Amino acid sequence: MSKKEKKQKKPKIKVGKLEKREARAGYFFTLPWVIGVVAFLLVPLCQSFKFMWYNIRITPNGMIFNPVGIGNFANIWHEDPEFPQQIVTYIWQTCLEVPIIIVFALMIAIMLNGKIKMRAFFRLIFFLPVIIVSGPVMNMLVSEGAATIPSMNVQSIVAAFDVFFPTSVANSIGEMFSNMIMTLWYSGVQILIFLSALQKVDPALYEAAKIDGGSGWECFWKITLPTMKPMILLNAVYTVIFLSSNEQNVLITMIESAMFSGTKEKGYGYASAMAWMYALVITLIVGLFALMLGSKKDVYDKKAKKFKKLQKKEERIKKRVIRRGERHAKKVARNKHKYTTYDGSGDY
Amino acid sequence: MRKNYWKKLLVSMTLVASMLIGVAGCGGDTTGDATPTQGATSGETTNDKKDDTAKKDPVKVDPVNVFGDYYVTTDNITLTYWHYEDQGMADRMCEAFMELYPNITVENKVISDMSTDLSAAAAAGTFPDVFEGTDSDTALANMYWADITEYWNADPENKNLMPTIDEYGIGMFDTSVRFAAPMRYWPSAIFIDRNVIETLNLDMPRTDWTWEEMIQLIKDATQYDPDMQYFGLGYYNRLDSLYGIAAVSKDVRQIKGEFGFNGEDFDLQYWAIGEQQFSDLKLAGYVAPQQSTQEMEDWTGDWDTWFGATGRVAVFSEGFWTYQNLWGVEGYQEQYGLDIVPYVTPNVIDEKEHNVISTMYMGGVSTSCKYPLEAYLLLKFMGWGIDGWKVRNEIYADTTITNDSGTPLKNAQMPVPLTLDETVWAGYKALFPQDEDRKPYWDDYFASITRPVPYGWYNIAGYWNFCDQYFNSIGIHDLVDNGTAKAADYTEEATRQANYYHADAMITYFGPSGYNVLSDAELAKYQAVVDSFLN
Repeated sequence: MSKKEKKQKKPKIKVGKLEKREARAGYFFTLPWVIGVVAFLLVPLCQSFKFMWYNIRITPNGMIFNPVGIGNFANIWHEDPEFPQQIVTYIWQTCLEVPIIIVFALMIAIMLNGKIKMRAFFRLIFFLPVIIVSGPVMNMLVSEGAATIPSMNVQSIVAAFDVFFPTSVANSIGEMFSNMIMTLWYSGVQILIFLSALQKVDPALYEAAKIDGGSGWECFWKITLPTMKPMILLNAVYTVIFLSSNEQNVLITMIESAMFSGTKEKGYGYASAMAWMYALVITLIVGLFALMLGSKKDVYDKKAKKFKKLQKKEERIKKRVIRRGERHAKKVARNKHKYTTYDGSGDY
Repeated sequence: MRKNYWKKLLVSMTLVASMLIGVAGCGGDTTGDATPTQGATSGETTNDKKDDTAKKDPVKVDPVNVFGDYYVTTDNITLTYWHYEDQGMADRMCEAFMELYPNITVENKVISDMSTDLSAAAAAGTFPDVFEGTDSDTALANMYWADITEYWNADPENKNLMPTIDEYGIGMFDTSVRFAAPMRYWPSAIFIDRNVIETLNLDMPRTDWTWEEMIQLIKDATQYDPDMQYFGLGYYNRLDSLYGIAAVSKDVRQIKGEFGFNGEDFDLQYWAIGEQQFSDLKLAGYVAPQQSTQEMEDWTGDWDTWFGATGRVAVFSEGFWTYQNLWGVEGYQEQYGLDIVPYVTPNVIDEKEHNVISTMYMGGVSTSCKYPLEAYLLLKFMGWGIDGWKVRNEIYADTTITNDSGTPLKNAQMPVPLTLDETVWAGYKALFPQDEDRKPYWDDYFASITRPVPYGWYNIAGYWNFCDQYFNSIGIHDLVDNGTAKAADYTEEATRQANYYHADAMITYFGPSGYNVLSDAELAKYQAVVDSFLN
């Protein structure tokens, strides 16, 4: 049977009504996002890509485009030392803060998932900062020093790290400590996601593990954590995006101020170039976390695959032996009566 | 399963509906706000708009001759005016203007950030017809301001303005075209606390004092006291800005702006002397600590204290508004034991008549405005015009008229008239202390402020670019103030940089890629400066 015939004979599975309905519901759920992208994101995205190659003057009578090639990028790197510096600081801070937020959120989620009194109340308490940090209230709190731990001597921490790391890294670590409260406040949504994932872990797994004598610690490492792994990646990506686009981010402020700067060097073109460079950096960070936390096949899958491979190999060998045997038999049959013994009695 | 399906469908439909309502809501808002503004910006007559005609009955007026051959339109039009004025004051001024020109409707808005608001308005096609700005580079770089030379020159009222406005071409940016006009003016001022002078047994200086006399007074008034130290100087305006304007006789260099700018190039040697002198005073402990600093807490025991409310500072280098907004408020001086009087910014050479550095917002008619004459009249009324100032004086005199914070409008950023009209000045002076003891100080002060010179960012093309990309980026003030560098070290390079940024801006703003108002000779001159800098 040829490959073509095999393909043709593959049975066609008709999509059931239930599946169709579910697909429709899925499209409906994603529709707000699609509308949002089409209405508000797509055009500005393409525009900003175009703008970054121009110096743009926005006069009351329209925009004047002056093509500058990579001029905006050159200006950013050569004449605006603050932007590259802030990019480096941002990379360090994000790489440090994301694991802290994720670990903290996971710990709190596990605690909130346990059987404790007033569980709903505590869940509410840990989600409240999400509402606060999403508005101008956070800016006011930060300006009042609410994001720092007053008794923490950040300068000593920076001095201590400065011995082992470059100053920019030490400063980033210091910055992270000085904004520790705020960092932890960013964990609300992540806690919620972890909590929902924890509630979906099959209790039978824990039960079986306990019957086999597994401790809580072992259950966490062998059951909880592997099950949560996709959620960890999801939360890591969410946290990177959140840290990169919230109001406290200096780079966002810089891009915004460059965008509305009326000076001849800056403006929409310059800000677009900044934004695209920043977007590239964010993509790289997200890619880094995806590489680190992306789903790798677990050990049982690996073993099963290996076993299947071995089975296939054995089958192949078996078939080969059979084929050889058959060939040999045919050969023998062909040579029968061809050769006679010396005494003429018959075959060898 | 069926139940779940309907539940999902319901949730998804709700989400979509809420999204669409949100989108529709946004659209509705935009339309609602933008239509009248766009109409106004484009200068379309309101006869074409049902909403506006419904709001306002059509007004038939005869053409009004305002000056020369210029007649105000008889159409019902709407003008938009964006400004930094107190909202309450602006509303009243707009009403007064609309009474004067019944067929013109004025919509006003307070600017929160010039670059952001105007860039966004330009991009959205909702640019105001008239606006005032705090940074001329932004307006010039993007060609916001239209040419108003013909109206300005034809208007007889402009012959009676403070002389430096025409003499130095304030608002013309060293071209032959007037793009902007000074709208609101706050001269710098030196104030003296007479109580401190008396307590320390010092003599009050003469009102036409010199720079050296002021420095000596600052030193003499800095005295240790076991209760609380006395300081000679408290500052908002740095002394180097004042010195740079007051340092030179006009026979030596005709200084028209900061950093020794004479209309063509900069010379920072005068600034450097003032900068160093100010820094030396700070380092030697003659200058009171600033608010919200550890030094302030060490001095007064309170981090948030303002030196102007301590009663322990003799001389203040302040903005004019500090008196109106704080010291001039009823009961304030009594509460803190102060007796504040104004002094003329002293001259380095003993000349009676000299320039004074000032905060001066520039206003203009936008290039998208289709009724430039009417917009010019509005600009004048809101800024320097006699009619406008008569209305202002009446409003300021009535202390029952307050803003949203309950502050009388004369205590909310009241500017100084730019006209020399005596009626206006009589009304204005009446707003200040009239007792025999203080009135002479105010009369002397007002007599000394008729030659304003704006800070650089109001009137020198490229000034802000120079500050942003050179002067402030290396932090010269801080370096000199903390003693790690001498101002003179920067004179040569800063002069070179300032000249380059100015020349580059002149070519960009007024050359062929901008307004295109420079002659070939002028372009070549500026290009030579740019080339010599780059090579």
